[in-house]
Formats: sequence, structure tokens, C-alpha cells
Amino acid sequence: MKVRFWGVRGSIPVPGRATNRYGGNTSCVEVRPKNAPPIIIDAGTGLRRLGKSLMEEAFGEGKGKASILISHTHWDHVQGLPFFSPLYRAGNEVDIFARQRDLHLEAVFSAQNRAPYFPVPLTAMEAEMRFHELIEGARFEIGNAKVSCTRLNHPWIAIAYRVDVDGASVVYCSDTAPFTDVLLGEKFVHRAPSLDEPLPADVAAELATMRAGVIALAKDADLLIYDTQFSKAEYRQRPHWGHSHPDDAIAIAREAGAKILCLFHHAPLRSDDENDQILATYRDVVTAQHEKFDLISAYEGLEITLGDA
Amino acid sequence: MKIRFWGVRGSIPAPGPETNRYGGNTSCVSVTTATGGLIIIDMGTGLMHLGNSLMAGAFGKGAGRASILLSHTHWDHIQGLGFFAPVFISGNQFTVWGPGPYGSAGMLEEILEGQMDPNFSPLQSLKNFSAVFDVRAVEPGTAFEAEGLRVTARAHPHGATTALAFRIEEHGRSFVYASDVGQPVPDAPPPADAIAFYRDADVLLHDTTYRPSDQETRRNRGFSTYEDAAAVAAAAKVKRLVTFHYDQDYTDDDVDQLVAACRATLDAHGGADIEIVPAREGDELEI
Repeated sequence: MKVRFWGVRGSIPVPGRATNRYGGNTSCVEVRPKNAPPIIIDAGTGLRRLGKSLMEEAFGEGKGKASILISHTHWDHVQGLPFFSPLYRAGNEVDIFARQRDLHLEAVFSAQNRAPYFPVPLTAMEAEMRFHELIEGARFEIGNAKVSCTRLNHPWIAIAYRVDVDGASVVYCSDTAPFTDVLLGEKFVHRAPSLDEPLPADVAAELATMRAGVIALAKDADLLIYDTQFSKAEYRQRPHWGHSHPDDAIAIAREAGAKILCLFHHAPLRSDDENDQILATYRDVVTAQHEKFDLISAYEGLEITLGDA
Repeated sequence: MKIRFWGVRGSIPAPGPETNRYGGNTSCVSVTTATGGLIIIDMGTGLMHLGNSLMAGAFGKGAGRASILLSHTHWDHIQGLGFFAPVFISGNQFTVWGPGPYGSAGMLEEILEGQMDPNFSPLQSLKNFSAVFDVRAVEPGTAFEAEGLRVTARAHPHGATTALAFRIEEHGRSFVYASDVGQPVPDAPPPADAIAFYRDADVLLHDTTYRPSDQETRRNRGFSTYEDAAAVAAAAKVKRLVTFHYDQDYTDDDVDQLVAACRATLDAHGGADIEIVPAREGDELEI
């Protein structure tokens, strides 16, 4: 399979010279099994360009099929959907997967794509759209690909995905805070909690279970894409925002036995030079710690071939 | 007054080297009054960068205030709000003027609240802002005051809906912001009430999303071509025309061509004395 990055940024798109090399589009990763339709993970603004490229293929003739796995419906992970050209061509089929909510999934996406927020309602998009609600732990197949998922530590709850196909595996683990300091869910956390006091035992146990789930999901993964929006210092200021840092990602990759760790969901105001610096710093860390995986940092246009291509 | 462009793009932010010169952020313009008051027009992604720059001054200390004029609530005009640092500082005050359905400020607030819905935003609610965020409905045709300046608004056709255009006056000088406007009928002359609203403006910022060739297939989207903008600018005898709200697929070179074509159209249609100013992120314009 091939994995291609179309959007690597967190929170909000950031155009400008400072982001030319890594890219300013929000989260969107294309997993392309050999001779099979794309499995797209997240629908940030990167999806717009992916859609344009897909229109050069069967989608341009109304004969395309795609699946989109949504980590969660925060704006930076769904904003590209109404700009995904294949949706406007009759005959195309798009399956959208996301975590089950109180509100039906189709209603959530309808709320995004309607007046007074957007001029085109979902019902006016001519492709066949099917919505699939997931509960963390669900396992299902898309063609020959096996997909599994687990819960992450993020406000309103996000899920991580693993795709196994063509003798290789990719794990997408964004957005999540470390599993050590605060349990994030449906309740709004107004202020940064203290990081120096011990957690209540039940909260610590729930976080430990969540962390074990992530490590199990990423077990021996060929590629682990991980939320590293923060530096360690930034994380300590904003542990309730639901994002992680490279030290935490390295620990997860080590325990899971992942082969490549990919830094992802870069902070919006992180310049290309700063991202270079972070990668260089942590490559030294990985070397000094004798880690068994390679460390890379996601940028728009990066394509990685795994297993049978 | 001093006008500054923080976001000039339409529909969706367009990052990439091909938009470096004009910028890829969505609509956001600031107006600084002669006495230092701040009026912000639209809250696209450019608002984040405006907010970050404001934090060095009074807004960083919780002593800032501004009026925000909102043309309409499509995502590309409100997406920056949750990333506008000054709203998280207690003591800052914002008065937001925008289109309230049925003239209802409550309904406008509910629309902005919907953007912060926990399904879409970790902020979960406008109530989690620390600043005062006072939402008011604009009554088109009725003047109101923003940071001491007289403002009038007019509802323009914008696809299936409308968007507000604003005219801001200071000591006999005027700035008109008219983004996201599209006349529904092809090749119709500029509407008389739009001409009246723009009449003699020192600066008319007008929607120039498209080229005429795009408009053939996209008229229902409710945007203007540079020809539409040039025609109404000439008819209203404005002094300067600002091109704005460029299509997300246009590269800098495309926008260069659009601006040159707009210049030629002005020259050919009685607008030779109108100065054309292409909106570019970071540029300032003084009236």
C-alpha cells in the first residue's frame, strides 16, 4: 500500500511562506491499497486537493469509490468534506465512518453543510454517501483491508484507526493527549489541571486502559502516525487541549514495537524551520535511546510505500 | 482611517507556495479609526493572525475593545473566531454586528453558538469566552455607530441567501466593504441601489471571486466577477476599487491576471480614473 499525506496541520489551516514546506492544510491522509479504492483518514482541508487528484481517475467519470475514516468531527478534521469534488459527481460512492454520538452521524455532517454556514446541503451532493457509526473496538473490512479502532484522550472523544492490507499496517493516532494527567471526554475542562497531583484511582485506571488500547492497536505497526502538536513544555501549559508531544509518542512507539514513527498534526504557528528543528532534536533522542524505529515528520506530499505496493 | 488586509481568500483557506503573495487566509479586514478605535470586518482565518498581533497591546492586558462587523455566517467568514486570542482574555470587550435572521440578535448569537457546538469545536460554547461578546443584529438601512464611526449596511444577493455590505464614514471619507455579493442575472447592469450605496466612496472593496469564464458555470454561487466589480465601481464613481475574495483555486499568477483584466475593464468602461488596489494579506491602505 501507499500512504500519502495531504494535510498535516492541527487546529486551523495556516497559509503563508512559513509553512510552504510542511504544508498548511489540516489533517488528511490517503491510504491506497494495491489496486483498490482509497481509504482516506480525516477530512481536513487537505481533502480538497486529494479530491481534485481523484477526479483524474474513476471519480471524474462518476465511477469512483472511497472510504473516509473520521477520527472525530472537530472542524479541522472535517472542513474539507464540502470541498471534496467527487461528492458532486453522480455515481461516485463515499462511505464515511466515525464514532457513534448521541446525534446521528449524518445529522452532525448535515449541520456542517447547511445554511447559514454553507450554501450546499448534503442532500444536494450527488454522490452516494453512506454513514457508518463506530464504537471504539469495532473491527470491519473495506475490500481486502482490515480496519480496527480504539479510543483516544481528546475533548468530545476521538478514535485512532489501524489499517492492515497488502501485508503491512498503518496506524493513525490523532488527536490525543498523553494518558497520564487528565481524562478528556464529553465534559468541558475549563482550566489546565495541576500535573503534579496524583489522579484519582478510577481516572488513572481508565487512562491506563486507553493507553493499553493504543499500544495494542499500534502493535508492530509499519507506520505509526501520531499527534505531536505540542512540545513537552507547551503540553504542560495546556494538558486539557487533548494533544501530545514527541516524548510521549516515542514511548508509545517503543512499547508498541512500531517500525516508523511519524510526527503529525503540527501546531498551526509552527514554522517549517521549527518543525525541522523538532525533527532533528528528536532524531538525536531516538538515536541516543537506541530506539528500534525510524523517526519522520509528516509533510504535505510525503508518500510512503509499505508492504506490497 | 487605516485599512489592513488579514485574509483575502474566498470559501476555504488555500495554503501553498502558489498563494504566498496574495495570501491564503479567508476574509478578515481591520479598520483603525483616526482616534485609534478598531473595527474588524469578518472573522475568516485571517482573524487569528490579527488577534495574535493585538495581544501585544491593550488586548493582551484585558483592556481592549473593538467592533466586529459580520457580512454573513458562512464558515469562511466566521472560522477564525475560535482562534481569536483576545476573546480568551477577561476584560476585553467586543460588539458584534451581523445579520440576525428576522432581525433577531438572539438568532445570530445562536448561529455563532452553533459554530462552537462540541461536535465541531473543543470550546463547546461562546460562554467559554472570557471577554464580553455582545452580539447585535444589523437592520439594513438603519445607521449604527461602531467605535464612534457611522456605519450603514445593505443586504446583497449572495446565492440563495444574502450578505451584508457595510459603509463606514469618518470625517466625510468613506470605506465600503462588499464581499460575497453576486447579481443573479447575467449581463444585467449594476443595480441602482448598489450604485447608490457605493456612491463616491473613497474606497470600495468588492467581491472579485471570479473571471467571467468561471461565472458561466458558477453564477448560482452568489459571487461577482471582476467585470461586475468594475462596472459597479465605475457607475458609482468610487475613487479606489479593492479586489477581494479570490477563488481558492487561483494562484498568485491567476490573481495577477484577474487584477490586470479588471484594470482594463475599468479603463474601457469609464473608470480610467479609478485606482485599483489588489487586496493582499498584510497590506495597508490609508484613507
